[in-house]
This record gives sequence, structure tokens and C-alpha cells, in this order.
Amino acid sequence: MLRLLNTISWRHLRHHRLRTFLTFLGMALGVAVIVAIALVNRALTTSFQSTIEQIAGKAVLQVSNSESGMDERVLALVRDTDGVLDVAAAVDGFLPVSGERGERLYIYGVDLLTDFTMREHQFAGDGFAFDQALDFIAQADSIAVTESFARRRGLAAGSTVVLNTSRGKQSYVIRALLKEEGTARVFGGNFALMDMPVAQLAFGKEGKLDIVDLTVETGSTVETVQARLRQRLAGAAEVERPKKRGEQIESLLTSFRVGLFFVSLIALFVGFFLIYNTVAVSIVQRKREIGTLRCLGMRRAELLRLIVAEALILALVGALIGCLLGWLLAQGALVAVGQTVRNLFSSIGLSGSGLSARELVIALASAIGVALLAALHPAIEALAISPLENARQAVWRPVFAAKKSWATRLGVLCLSIAPLLVVLAPHLTGAVRQFSVGVIGMLIFLLGLAFFAPLIVRYAAQWLWRWTLALPGVSWVETRLAADSLRRNPLRSGITVATMIISLAAIFTIAAFVNSVRGSLLAWVDQMVTADIIISSGARTAGPRNVSLHEEPAAGLRALPGVKIVDLYRLVRANYQGRPIVVESFSAALSAPVRTLPMAQGDGARVLREMAQGKGAVVSESFQTRFGAQVGDKIELVTPSGPVSFTVLGIYIDYSSDIGSVLIDRALYKKYWRDELVDAFDLWLEPGADMAALVQQIKAGYGDQYQLFISTHRELKDAVLRIMEQSFVVNYAVEIVALVVAIFSVINTLLASILDRSREIGVLRAIGATQSQVRRIIVMEAGWMGLIGGLLGLLAGSVMAYHHVVYNTKLLTGWTFQFYYPYDVAALVVSATVVLCLLAGYGPAKKAAATPVVTAIGYE
Amino acid sequence: MIRCTDVCKFYQQGDNRITALAGVTLEIPQGAFTAVMGQSGSGKSTLLHLIGGLDRPTSGELLVDNRLIGQMSDDQVTLFRRSRIGFIFQFFNLLPTLTAAENIALPFVLDGRGKAEADARAAALLAKVGLEHRRQHLPEELSGGEIQRVAIARALAFNPPILLADEPTGNLDSKNGLAILDLLRQVNRQDGCTIVMVTHSEEAAGYAERRIYLRDGRVEKEE
Ligand SMILES: Nc1ncnc2c1ncn2[C@@H]1O[C@H](COP(=O)(O)OP(=O)(O)OP(=O)(O)O)[C@@H](O)[C@H]1O
Ligand SMILES: [Mg+2]
Repeated sequence: MLRLLNTISWRHLRHHRLRTFLTFLGMALGVAVIVAIALVNRALTTSFQSTIEQIAGKAVLQVSNSESGMDERVLALVRDTDGVLDVAAAVDGFLPVSGERGERLYIYGVDLLTDFTMREHQFAGDGFAFDQALDFIAQADSIAVTESFARRRGLAAGSTVVLNTSRGKQSYVIRALLKEEGTARVFGGNFALMDMPVAQLAFGKEGKLDIVDLTVETGSTVETVQARLRQRLAGAAEVERPKKRGEQIESLLTSFRVGLFFVSLIALFVGFFLIYNTVAVSIVQRKREIGTLRCLGMRRAELLRLIVAEALILALVGALIGCLLGWLLAQGALVAVGQTVRNLFSSIGLSGSGLSARELVIALASAIGVALLAALHPAIEALAISPLENARQAVWRPVFAAKKSWATRLGVLCLSIAPLLVVLAPHLTGAVRQFSVGVIGMLIFLLGLAFFAPLIVRYAAQWLWRWTLALPGVSWVETRLAADSLRRNPLRSGITVATMIISLAAIFTIAAFVNSVRGSLLAWVDQMVTADIIISSGARTAGPRNVSLHEEPAAGLRALPGVKIVDLYRLVRANYQGRPIVVESFSAALSAPVRTLPMAQGDGARVLREMAQGKGAVVSESFQTRFGAQVGDKIELVTPSGPVSFTVLGIYIDYSSDIGSVLIDRALYKKYWRDELVDAFDLWLEPGADMAALVQQIKAGYGDQYQLFISTHRELKDAVLRIMEQSFVVNYAVEIVALVVAIFSVINTLLASILDRSREIGVLRAIGATQSQVRRIIVMEAGWMGLIGGLLGLLAGSVMAYHHVVYNTKLLTGWTFQFYYPYDVAALVVSATVVLCLLAGYGPAKKAAATPVVTAIGYE
Repeated sequence: MIRCTDVCKFYQQGDNRITALAGVTLEIPQGAFTAVMGQSGSGKSTLLHLIGGLDRPTSGELLVDNRLIGQMSDDQVTLFRRSRIGFIFQFFNLLPTLTAAENIALPFVLDGRGKAEADARAAALLAKVGLEHRRQHLPEELSGGEIQRVAIARALAFNPPILLADEPTGNLDSKNGLAILDLLRQVNRQDGCTIVMVTHSEEAAGYAERRIYLRDGRVEKEE
């Protein structure tokens, strides 16, 4: 076996160095994308969990109410509950370091004297004595930062740090340095301790708590204490184990992660076809050799083993290189994904990690599984090669019965199963399952169309065969002879066309999806944000990165000449039925006349009026999909004042979050949440007001104090677009892989095709075809394949993209996107495919034309 | 018509230098029907390939139809071959995907002639070799003798002054072989075409007016 591999396979590979290299590269790229996505996905899961657990310390239960917070009195209530041993409360959040772009500190505000029961804070120097602690607490500007942060910023004990708080810039004095151990390790050392009241002031959460950690007395079980607490709290807050809280935060990312998985599925699919293509082509190439081997007495089983072993080795080496490449890719992807996660979901420190042994095994196993599956059909074909193959003269018989071939039959099967799955998908339970079945339905549709490729190639070639027009620079005979090669082996050309269909459909689907998201998003921003100027602190868009401010600047802004209306926008994360949601608010009473609300159900103007009258809440499409709430239903939200019930007034469109949003009037929000903070000031100007001058005035008046981002409508739109583009970075990587694979498969097929026809090319040359004629014929052949593959890929991609944008995405996220057909990408896909195929064909064409005629004929 | 002066052809295979022709000098007059004979490996096919411009001599001078083809560029040789030389091989003469008529029309269409002209010429040539009824047949559906006749028809597409045939009957039974040889003689006599035919068979060589015997890449004797 080894000897055979060495003599036959190795020589073959060495002889076709370029092809071998391309194949390895293609496979490695495919595996790399899968590995990278797996690594990113794991980093996403573990980062949330480990962060939450590190901060939780010894706590076995945590009382919290998401970002909404709880009344301070909850602390006493928890402490007085039977079975509770130690209790520690905290206020936490991120604050930007003033003057340092992008530097943010995670502030943990605690009662230093009791927090030691939950967490160990190791201070640098000679311990942190009791009186030092008292000194720390006594001064209202104390902060403790980690040694690594201090080192990085060039700070020492006694230095000041300026933070952008909800009251604007505040100076804090470093009165202690933390060793980077235990809790202080989170967020890469960007961790700081403050005394609780100081932190409450900084975050604008006076009288409120974010979290109450507790341990349980021996003799009580966590479950009973949890139940007791739940009863006593009566819905004012949630009681969960830290792990469960981690999962809740992690669930924010579900759609994002499923999306990533979908992308890696495409990479796997494309990889499968590349291997299939390679093995199939290498067998066609060695038909005669295999015939001779069979003639010399090689048994079928031996031949099968040889081919399978070849595919395995190919896959193994490719997969190993891929794992390495994937790890590298993951480091880059983590940066991009981390950025997206921070922008959209939550502050998180994503740390890259090595590939675990298990993941390595899974990556290798899936690559090998795919390789075996892909090699199966070509191997069976090889077994059917007659020992007489070598002796045959006319190697071609027009026998390909495309209509009855296995490929066409499978195609019909796939095309009939796919619609069933697509129709079935919405009736399943669970958004992820619905989405997955929908995606699988689409992939089967794609596969079905790919199976039709040989049939389509055959008919297209027949049609081209009757072609009698001269193209510029190419005579009709050359056109015809180019089509002839497709005609003689529709199966082989079909495989390449199928590979192209799949790659291009993947590329187009992603492109169309991005285009639709962009289009829908822009249209939505126009409706959702009608203000002329939007002011926020810490970040341009309201979300996990901005700093909430007090209402104080509003009065001054209203007084500015030219300003007509100032409305206050607030966004907090809350919980509904134990799952995270978003609560948005603005003052409909103030801004109803100048606002529009993008609605999925109900009339926006009426809903705004009803909101202003305090009649209820508006929920987003995602909320509707997730929780099944309908217009007129009552929903009960957990507020710091206890549970409050709201009537659903309508369903609005909110692309800023897919976890479900509830929009209420600011007056109601302030009443129940006891929160006066503002995430964005929306300004509408008088007609004819000087926008630039106003922006200058605002900057001069508040910019320095609050680290403001003052955005015009246009700038906000750009910022939203940038965030969106960033979240698609990984998708672009897959597009590149798909493109490379498509090109490889064309080169592969052409190389095999010219080898298969070397005698014919020799005869053509003998009867007077010039080198350039032979070249043009082969380049044209590639061009035809490109045209057929490009058009079919576009067709498949268009159907898939429409389905993905309009149905699948809705299943997963609840978002309804408008389908924006990317005409430019469509034109580009077809023309670029043809051009790339022509270029890819040039190498093989040159090779064929340069082969000495005598060698080509070589029949001795 | 054809004049070889001290033509040598070596093949480099790794470190080995294989001598195919070791200085061949000969002259073939216009309108002659010449047979080239010799043992396997004596260089017959090589000689034919050189004359037809399919390959280049390592040294020596080769004058075909008053042209020094050893010095011509590939394109020049190809165009020369297209119109001035007809080739017939032992096997694998035809493109398997083209019908008999399309195979015959091929040199014409390669030359950029119109389809109508090519079709008419193909029909005439098919009639000449007596295969009108096989127009639309693929090579697969033709017998060996018929394939060779189609090959001859194609070789005659441009009425070339020279016809080169490498064991055209080697693959045929004697009846079919004789029919092919008759056809070649007819072409030689009626069209005045100079024919050089490589053969192993004395019987086939009997059709020729002259015989050249090769041995180890040299002319052994001429009759
Ligand atoms: N492309 C090539 N590379 C290396 N050696 C070659 C090549 N073509 C021919 N030869 C060698 O040149 C010599 C003459 O070959 P050629 O084909 O001309 O012989 P031949 O007389 O036609 O034989 P046959 O009767 O078997 O056809 C042989 O020894 C052959 O091995
Ligand atoms: Mg020979």
C-alpha cells in the first residue's frame, strides 16, 4: 500500500505541483475559516462566563435587575432573609478615562468593609490596613486601580485619574493599588474599586444597587434560599446563580453566533466541493494509468484503498495547515468580533486561546469526513474504469444520458425536499431550530441546482455548438470547438460549474444580505431618528459604550437660540420573563409632532399620541417573535418600583437589538424606574437655524465637561453603518474563500480537460491549428464555464438571498428586512466570474498550445 | 519537392541522448509515391514528423516545397502545414466529437473560411472517398477503413502538394488496407500529389514507386 502510494500517488502529486498546491491552499482556507469561527465562538462563550464568575467571587446567588437596578432597600431585605450568610452589594459599569481615546475602566462600587466576605482584593504594598480602608472611604474621590493599569498609564499612588461620569468630568485620587489577582483580573486589568456612594454618584445611580451578592448558611440549600428570596422580592429583582447570569448575558449573542455558524457551514460546503472536484479530476486525469494498473492485476478493493488513502492524506495535510491558519485568522477575527460585541451587546474582554485537543480532533475529523464523502463518488467512478482503457482509441462516446443520470435524479430529489423544509421551518419550536432548518432547506436547494449542472452544461453546449457567429477576435470555429469540450464531458465540466454555482451563490447571498441589511438600516435610521443633532457622551450611539448623563444640560440646550425641541432618550437593559430585553424611552409628549416611528403593525402617529398620554408601551418585532406579544396584550415588566403592567400599543421596527425592545414614554419610565439619566439628547432646530454654529456653541458649552459626541443626522447614520459593516467582517473572509475555491476548481478542470484531449489537440495542430488558435479555444472553454456557472450561481444566489433576508432572518431575530437586490454585485459576479475564468484558463491554454505536436499525438 | 541534407534528430531524456535520426540525406521528387520502411525504432515516424513540420531537426537542412521549414516560426510552419501538407496517422486521426463531414471541414474552418464553403468542400471530398452516406456519422460509428478514408479526405482539404501517411494501413485488415492504398494511388495519379508513406508491409510498399529503407536513423538503401 505504502509503496503504491509512494510510486503512483506521490509522483502524480509531484508532477502536478501547482494543482496540488492550489488544492492544499483551498482546503486549508476552508478549514481555517471553520476553525477560526469555532475559536471565536468559544471565546464569546467563555469570556462572558468567566468574567461573571470572576466578579461574583464566592457568591452563590446574585440578586439583580439587569441595567435597571434595584432600590437600596433590597439589601436589607436580602440580609434579613433566613439562610443568607454574607451579603455584599455593588454598583458597577464602565467609565471612559478622560483624554485617553478608547480607554475605559470597569468601576466596581462596593462597601469595602463588607466586600471582603465575597471577594478577595489583594492590595499592593504592606497590606491594606483597616484605618487605610477608613481613610479610603472617608474621602469622596478615592479610587483603587490595578498595578498593570497604573503602570500602563504611568500612574502611582497619589496620582489623579479623570473619568467621564454622568455628571461630566470628575477627578479621582488613586489611594490604593490592586494586585492583579482574583476579581481584578477581569477586562485585562482595566478594573477599579470605588466606595459605593462615590460610584453611585459617578453612574447617576443614587439610592440604587446593581447587584447584591450573597452566600448561604451551612444547613440551608441554595435552592431554598433562592425560592425564599424570590418570594420576598415579589418580582422587584431576579435571584440567580452567577452561572445562570452568565448564560443570560451570553444569550444576547445567540443570533450573532448562529449567524457565524451559518457562515462556517458555507465554508464547509464549499470545501466539500473543492475536494470532490480535486479527486474527481485527478481520477479523470489518470484514467489510462488506472486502466493499466487494473490490466496488470490490481484488484478493485486495492484501487479503492489507494484512492481513499490519497484523499485522506490530502485532507489531513490540508486540515493541519488549516488549523494553523485558522488560529491565526481567529486572532484577527477576535479583534473584529470583540469590537462588534462591545458596540452591540456588552463590554467584554475577548481573549484568544489555543486550539484544545478536542477541537483539533473535531476539525481534523470533519475535514477527513468531508474528504471521504467527497472522494466516494469519484472512487466509484474509478472502479468502473475498464482495464482496456489504455488500449482504447476513441475515448469518447456520446453516452452521457443527462436526463437519466444519477446527478439529475438527485437534483430532482433535492429540489423537491428543499421547499418542504422551507415550509416546515416556521412551524418548529425554537428560533434557532427554525432558522437552522430554513438554512438547511436553502443549502439543499443549492445542492439540487448544483446537481443539475451537468444537464444544463450539456444543453448549453449543444446550443453553443450551433453557434455560427464570430465574436470579436475569435472565429466561430474556435467558439464551437470550445463548446465541444464541454459537450464531450458534461459531467466533468458540470462538477466545476456546480462548484462555481455553490461558491458564487454563497458570495452573492452574503452580499445581498449585507446590502439588504444596509438598505433597511438606512431607511430605518431615517424614520427612527428625525432629530437634526444628536448628542451623547462616550460614544456616538447609545448602547453599551456610552455614558449616561444627568438631565442637567437639557435646560441649557433648550435655551440655545435656534433650538426648537430637545427630547431625552434613554436605553437600559432589563429582563422580561427571565430573559434580557431592552427598554427604550423618550418623551413622546415633547417630540410627537417632529418624530416618526417605523411601525410593523399599527399607525406610528397614533401610537406616539397614545404613548404621550401614558397609555402603554410599544414593543419591537423581535419582542413580538420572542415572547408572542400582540397588540392589546398586557406585558409585565420588572422595574425598581416592582412589577408594572403595560398595554402593547403597537409593534415597531428596531434594528438596534434583536433580543426584544420595549418603548415607553419618558414620564412613565422616570416614574417606575426612578431614573433620570439620559443616553442621548435629540435636538430639532428652528427652520433656518445655523447648524454649524450651534454645534460649535454646544461644543464650547458642554463638550469639554462631558466628552460629548455631537452628531448630525448624517454622522449618526455613518456611525450606524460602520458598526454594521464591522459585524460582517467574518462574512467577507468566507467570500474570499469561496472565490478562491471557485477559481481553483476552474483551473483544475481545465488542466484535466486538456490532458484528456491531448491527442485531439495534437491532431488539431497537425492539420493546421496555430498555437494561438489552440489557446483561444481553451480560454474560451473556461469562459463558457464561467458564463454558465456565473449565471446559474447568480440565479441560485438570488433565490437564496431573498429567502435568507425575508424569511430566515425573521425566524432567528424577528427582524423584517426589506430585500434590496444588489444589482451592482449581480453584474460584478457574472462579469468577474467570466473574466476570472478566462484568466484561470490562460495557464492551461498556454500549456496545451506549447506542447510539441509529436508528444501530444504520441501513440507509439 | 522534398530534400533532406544530413538531417539529425536527437531526443534528450534526462542524461541520455537518444538518436532518432543520425544524418539522413535524401531527395523525393514531385509527384512521387514513396514508401519509407525499416525496423521499429529506426526513425521512420521521426522523419515524417520532421518533413511535416511537426517537429524540428536538431541539425541539417530540410527543404519542403521549396521552403526551409527548419527555420520557420511555429506559426509559419503551422500555416504551411495547413495548406501544403496533408497528414494521415495510424490511429486517432479524427476528433471523436465531430461528424465525418465536420472533421473534413476542420482545416477549412480553421483557416477562417465561411461555413457554407467548408460544407460544400466537405461534401465534395466525402464523395471523392465514397462516403457520402456517412456524412453525419461520428467516428465511433465508422469502421477503421472508413475512418482512414475520412482522414484522407481531410488531408486533401486544401489540395496539398504533399501527403504524409504514417502506417495508414497498420490497423486495418488486408481488404480495407488495400482499399486505402488504392485510394492513395488514385490521389497520387489524378492530383499529382507527392506521397510519403511509412509502412511495415511489403505489400503496401508495393504500391509505391520508390522505397527508402531506414536503419538506426540512417538511410540504408533506396530502390
Ligand atoms: N519524443 C521522443 N522522446 C524520446 N525518444 C523518442 C521520441 N520519439 C521517438 N523517440 C526515439 O527515437 C527513435 C525513433 O523513433 P520513431 O518513432 O521514429 O521510430 P519508428 O521507426 O517510427 O518506429 P515504429 O516502427 O515502431 O513506429 C526510437 O528509438 C524512439 O525511442
Ligand atoms: Mg512509427
